[in-house]
Amino acid sequence: MFKRKRSAEDFRAEIEAHLELEADDLRSEGLNEDQARWQARREFGNVRAAEERFYLKGRLVWLDKLARDLRFGLRSLCQSPGFTATAILTLALGIGANTAVFSVMNAVLLKSLPVADPDHLVYLRTSNPPHGTGTIDSNQTFSYSVYDALRQQGKGFSTVMAYVPLSNSKVAVRYGAQPEEAEGDMVSGTFFSGLGVNLPLGRGFNQEDEANHAPIAVLSYNYWTRRLARDPDVLGKTLYVNGVPMTIVGVAAEGFEGVEGGGSTDLWIPLQNRRELNAWGNPPDDGRLYISNPTWWCLRLIARLAPGVSRAQALAQLQSAFQTAAFVGLGGSPVAGGKPPVLSLAAAKSFRGYDRMYANPLRILTAMVGLVLLIALANVVMLLMARNAARQREFSVRQALGAGRGELLRQLLTEGLILVTAGGVLAWGFAEMATRLLGNWAQIESSLAPDKTVLLFTVGVLVFAALLFGLAPLRVALAGGAELALKTSAATSNTDAGKSRTGRIIVALQMALCVVLLVGGGLLMRTLRNLENTDLGMRVDGLVVFGVKPDVPSIAAGRAFYLNLLNKLRILPGVESVTLMEERLGSWSSDNSDMRVDGRLPNVANGASRTVRSNVAGPDFFTTLGVPVLSGRDFADSDTASSPHVGIINQEFANRFLPNENPLGHTIGTDNGQYAMTIVGVVKDHKYRSIDEEPIPMAWYEYAQIPIIGPMHVEMRVHGDPLAILPAARKALQQLDPNLPLIRPMTQRAQFETTISPQILFARLAGFFGFLAVVLVATGLYGTLAYRVSMRTAEIGVRMAVGARRGQVIWMILKDSLALTIAGVMVGLPLAMLVGRALASSLYGVRPLDAVTYFLAVVGLAAVALMASAVPAARAASVDPIRALRLD
Amino acid sequence: MATQENNDDRIALLQGTLDLLILKTLLLGPCHGQGVARTIQRQSEEVFLVDHGSLYVALQRLEDKNWIRAKWGVSENNRKARFYSLTPKGREQLAEKTGEWRRLTRAMGLILDANAVLKGEEA
Repeated sequence: MFKRKRSAEDFRAEIEAHLELEADDLRSEGLNEDQARWQARREFGNVRAAEERFYLKGRLVWLDKLARDLRFGLRSLCQSPGFTATAILTLALGIGANTAVFSVMNAVLLKSLPVADPDHLVYLRTSNPPHGTGTIDSNQTFSYSVYDALRQQGKGFSTVMAYVPLSNSKVAVRYGAQPEEAEGDMVSGTFFSGLGVNLPLGRGFNQEDEANHAPIAVLSYNYWTRRLARDPDVLGKTLYVNGVPMTIVGVAAEGFEGVEGGGSTDLWIPLQNRRELNAWGNPPDDGRLYISNPTWWCLRLIARLAPGVSRAQALAQLQSAFQTAAFVGLGGSPVAGGKPPVLSLAAAKSFRGYDRMYANPLRILTAMVGLVLLIALANVVMLLMARNAARQREFSVRQALGAGRGELLRQLLTEGLILVTAGGVLAWGFAEMATRLLGNWAQIESSLAPDKTVLLFTVGVLVFAALLFGLAPLRVALAGGAELALKTSAATSNTDAGKSRTGRIIVALQMALCVVLLVGGGLLMRTLRNLENTDLGMRVDGLVVFGVKPDVPSIAAGRAFYLNLLNKLRILPGVESVTLMEERLGSWSSDNSDMRVDGRLPNVANGASRTVRSNVAGPDFFTTLGVPVLSGRDFADSDTASSPHVGIINQEFANRFLPNENPLGHTIGTDNGQYAMTIVGVVKDHKYRSIDEEPIPMAWYEYAQIPIIGPMHVEMRVHGDPLAILPAARKALQQLDPNLPLIRPMTQRAQFETTISPQILFARLAGFFGFLAVVLVATGLYGTLAYRVSMRTAEIGVRMAVGARRGQVIWMILKDSLALTIAGVMVGLPLAMLVGRALASSLYGVRPLDAVTYFLAVVGLAAVALMASAVPAARAASVDPIRALRLD
Repeated sequence: MATQENNDDRIALLQGTLDLLILKTLLLGPCHGQGVARTIQRQSEEVFLVDHGSLYVALQRLEDKNWIRAKWGVSENNRKARFYSLTPKGREQLAEKTGEWRRLTRAMGLILDANAVLKGEEA
């Protein structure tokens, strides 16, 4: 349209002109002034209709109507701000919680690895490592010789990629002057090319880099952004990893942070062969690094299947080569009775670590938030129905005035749309916040930012809600029909509205869902309490732990360093006792291997595990921890390199391998027979790796006697606040070496709690959703009851006028919600039992059918129902009969 | 509202006809709406009673189609009025529509006359 639109005023002026011209003509035909005017107008017909047709002509009528509906909807929602706020908030909470959980689930379970063609990538697994090997993870790590053998085969896989962390937490990195810690992996030369990861800057590694152990590094995009502010000139700069200079040669694609879940790798270097950069930051074992030690299974492997080769085919082609390589360094064949390890492959499509840790909890959480959403939607529907029932007379009047059913439907849909839009926008904000919180709690460092899938999910829910909100109340709105407008009394027009059966069914169902959520949340909260109150088998309060990583050129120097450190720390004021350990308690790490008992591998009944978890400990170890020594003694300063080798075992070890004997005086040692020691003490079983572990045979070596020494953790028992000792401890350490920091200092309790952080998160969320459900149900119940009471005001007035007492009226209202509660509980309990069973694997110390939890859930629900009914009941009882009857 | 619906029906029926009549009337020279109505009424020997509301909506529609253009002016008896005149495009349309109408009435006449003959034979 190039012309300016003609205004309605102009059109009206033209019609005015017409009427005057017509009147002129009529006058000239002999009519008098008044007659002429009247006749002209009569001949024209309906002026307004012509104007309206002009107005409607050439206009986007639907847009016009939409704008009008929107204005009307907004106005009518503003008239009941309480309703509007409740509805929008309810929606925002329900949808926000769903979006948040869905985006975590999307990131964790649905998203693929950020690599090319992830469908053909597989993680390598083994049934068990051969006897005589040490492992990081008995199913997921392999020796260098296995890696080497598999890649030499040239069949089955097109590429085999090895990767191994430089430390079991973070590794010391220095860029410029500022030392810091970062997560670094050593990887094979095929790593980037095999995975198909792009490098927007620089290059990845190649076979030559691996063969030469090239001192080069690739940074993650995230680290490059965070630490180097995306410096484009970073290539060629030097980065020191554990003091070894590495030249930066590339930056990996955005979003790629390694192929392990739970952490984010900051930098990669090719596989190295030097003492400072051993796998997992371990000290050399008997002078051997990971690369030359076929009995240390420490590398993680991922492979790309050769084109057209299935997993089963690849396994068939490689199994024998794997089994041969598995026994390199072990005499070439399994010991008598030992099972050969079996290679298997697991899909690497999504993140391994996340999958295992979070899959089940996340599914349950998704179901829980789904229920919350149902309750929320039902709430809003009920609110809308109540509101629209109360507006029946408004609708009737509008119908009587000529509004079609279509127009009413459009108006209701528009109101639904407004609510849903407002709720959706708020929900998105909630979800962003909640997702960030979830990510922090779960310690998921990779990106959880909502993506297209999440947006689609949310919009889908919103559209569904909008339709539901428009359609559900329509029946109520139209039920009245135009004739209702003629009924003028509140007493007669609203009597039916209070008895809506649909409303009662919805409330009862909500209560059922609420029971389910309360039971689920309750079981998990009890699990959490059980975990938190688990007896660790030691006096954990008052303990503080930190790591030390001295640079020790020889074993003797190492022993001297630690002896020195112990002596310095012991004399600090407030310190009760100090000890050392190789693996930190409560950090999931452990050394697992078979051990000889009295010179041979012990016999175990029908295939039971022979695995012993071992640790290296310093003097006063059990005294410091507060673990009771059942017989014999603790390690002492008098145990030195030159004194007889001594070891300590736990009860479980004694029961399993030395049953019905006095363990003291027996000899135990490494499975290769190279190191042996005499048992001098038996200690009570206690928690070692994590809070929820079961007792396992354990043995402790004395740190000063074994032929290996490296980084250790220091455990101190102090009076008062454990963390207050840290500055003094730092000073003492730096007197020995000014460059040494305290590594990850924290209380021992906090350290143990990290092992249940997924459970803590899970329980807190479940509890929160249970709470949310209760709040929503309470709002819904209150809203419904309040509405029903207000509808029955006249009826109550009549009852009271003819002699009903207040008590009777209150009972009448309460009876109603009691009946609903009972119905809800009857439906909810069996459902809750199903949920309890589904939760079984996530529970600790509480049975899926825990009576107390169920009882509390029911009592909780009843209390909420009672409270939500109390206000309306009181209001009903205070109805003044006279006023109630005169309400109109 | 009921009236409006009926109006709508009649417009649909008359639309082509009214447009044609307007165009034909304007062929005689610029004229305002009331003049158009009078002319149509007079020339049809008062057979057509023009609904004025529909007339103005039709005028507006023709103006939007650029078949006629309008300008405010002063009438013979010194009244302000909106004068419509044909555009070249309107002239083309008039020729075309007139042809269409002729064909239509001829066809209608053929059918109706044929019926009359049949009836006559039966009688």
